Amino acid sequence: MDVLSNGAVTTVSNFVFPNDLHVHWSMMIVLYPYITGIVAGAFIVSSLYHVFNIKALKPVSRFSLLFALAFLACATLPLLVHLGHPERSMNMMITPSPSSAMAGFGYIYALYGIVLVLEILFIYRPKLVQLQAGSAGWMQKIYTLLSFGSDNVTPESLALDKKIIKFLAAIGIPMACLLHGYVGFIFGGVKANPTWSTPLMPVIFLLSACVSGISGIILLYILTKKYRRESLNLECIKTCFNYLAGFFIIDFTFEMLEVFSHSYLRSGYHHMVEGLLNGPLYISFWVAQVFMFSVVPLFLFGWLCLTRVKDRLYILGTMVTSGLLLLQVLYMRWNVVIGGQLMSKSARGYTEFHPQWFHKEGIITAIILMSLPFIVLFFLGKIFPFWLEESE
Amino acid sequence: MHIQSVRRYLLQSNHNSHVKRIIVGLLVLAVFGFASKLIFAPATFGDLGHYRAKAILEEANLEPRLMTNESCLTCHQHEKRKHLKGTHKTVSCEFCHGAYFDHILDDKKIGTLDVKKGEEIRVLCLRCHNKEIQARPTDKIKTVALPQHLEEKRVRTTHTCDQCHYVHAPLEYVNLAKKMMRIKDEPEKEPCP
Repeated sequence: MDVLSNGAVTTVSNFVFPNDLHVHWSMMIVLYPYITGIVAGAFIVSSLYHVFNIKALKPVSRFSLLFALAFLACATLPLLVHLGHPERSMNMMITPSPSSAMAGFGYIYALYGIVLVLEILFIYRPKLVQLQAGSAGWMQKIYTLLSFGSDNVTPESLALDKKIIKFLAAIGIPMACLLHGYVGFIFGGVKANPTWSTPLMPVIFLLSACVSGISGIILLYILTKKYRRESLNLECIKTCFNYLAGFFIIDFTFEMLEVFSHSYLRSGYHHMVEGLLNGPLYISFWVAQVFMFSVVPLFLFGWLCLTRVKDRLYILGTMVTSGLLLLQVLYMRWNVVIGGQLMSKSARGYTEFHPQWFHKEGIITAIILMSLPFIVLFFLGKIFPFWLEESE
Repeated sequence: MHIQSVRRYLLQSNHNSHVKRIIVGLLVLAVFGFASKLIFAPATFGDLGHYRAKAILEEANLEPRLMTNESCLTCHQHEKRKHLKGTHKTVSCEFCHGAYFDHILDDKKIGTLDVKKGEEIRVLCLRCHNKEIQARPTDKIKTVALPQHLEEKRVRTTHTCDQCHYVHAPLEYVNLAKKMMRIKDEPEKEPCP
């Protein structure tokens, strides 16, 4: 309404339809794929240990699951804030629509949540039994409930648990891919929008999910360990960092492939997407997402992965790189979600988006929503110990 | 004795008792989910398609709130004379003033509708006449940018639209004034690309 009422011609260029002036999917819809991406990425780290047996990742294998659960618990909040009427959210569960990709979210999300919670409970069971014996009052009741009233940790029982954990982790991988690939598909399936409508979208979303998840784990692992003044497992950080490098290189390649293949082919909407990336999105796409948060980390990867670096410097380097990549993924979500809406359906003009601080979907809400998973993680940490002890 | 043996059975810890309890828990969850669907899904949902069939009837039975210009102009004769001759003749009365049924119900006046004044009228006019909205067919709807338009016309930038344009026939008095002052119309410039 601001644009409409003040009458000043400053924010819109060329030929924009009246119903294209306003960006309807704003910051909450940027946060939603960002948060679910972190969930999927963190789960992948845990699966690398539990399914693919990469032993170096053992120190973060439990933490990554809790990290994923904390973010999963908050993944729907941006959507509920955006849509309003949270009491209606269950309607999509009780009136399932098999032909709607959007309506499928409730089921995909719920099933993935069940798998994740069960995997955490099975992995933590021996620890929960031990904690149950050593606690009293409410905590003991919670631990009894979480270990399903069973204190049987015989080798036979643990062997059964191990098989179940492997099974859950194995079905968890396609489910994590489905959860986040689905989010990409939602955008990729909007054929009226030339920047979204591409089969590459789910792939790009998945790879960037892995990047944000692994970056988050590395950063939080180092920060919590430093805060608690405990020793870091350098082998684990190096393995995580190498996987991060691998995922990021493929992710960035696909992101650029999408842009440059259209640019080379001069495809239908090329002139429009080119105008968008070089116009309203110039700073947030080329300068931030591509140069500052992709090209710079690529050089950091080259330096840290291929040369011999002192341990302290290596850890600092991984923290900086992970931080930059978390921002890269956030910018990528921003450029996809908001960037995609800055073009009018006229294919002739662009509008602009100005985030507000105190709007229902404004910056303050975004900050609160992004800090909620960390609060959930803090409370989860009170029940489930994050880190393995020497003996485990 | 019987209750105690059941209790002992339930709380025993075999190597797989926790797995059994989880499976029972998941089954209970599934039954609960299915029961919720049966209880909470709206009664006529799915009868005709993926929606509540009764919704059609409910929508059809909603009390109307809007009427046509014809209904308004039956009483408002002065506005009728002006409005139907001016360039706003196709604009609905309710677009600016609000719904007919907030004003008249069962042929009786029940309320007074809004008449925008001052700064409000500027916002109202710009809903259609804002140059920002470049998708407007400019040969049909004149669009302006403020304050440029006021500066071009050499009036104060605090002027509101209705100080020059009579809202029901926006060009009537402007053209009359031009005629009196013998101002020849300059050809309209095409908007900048």
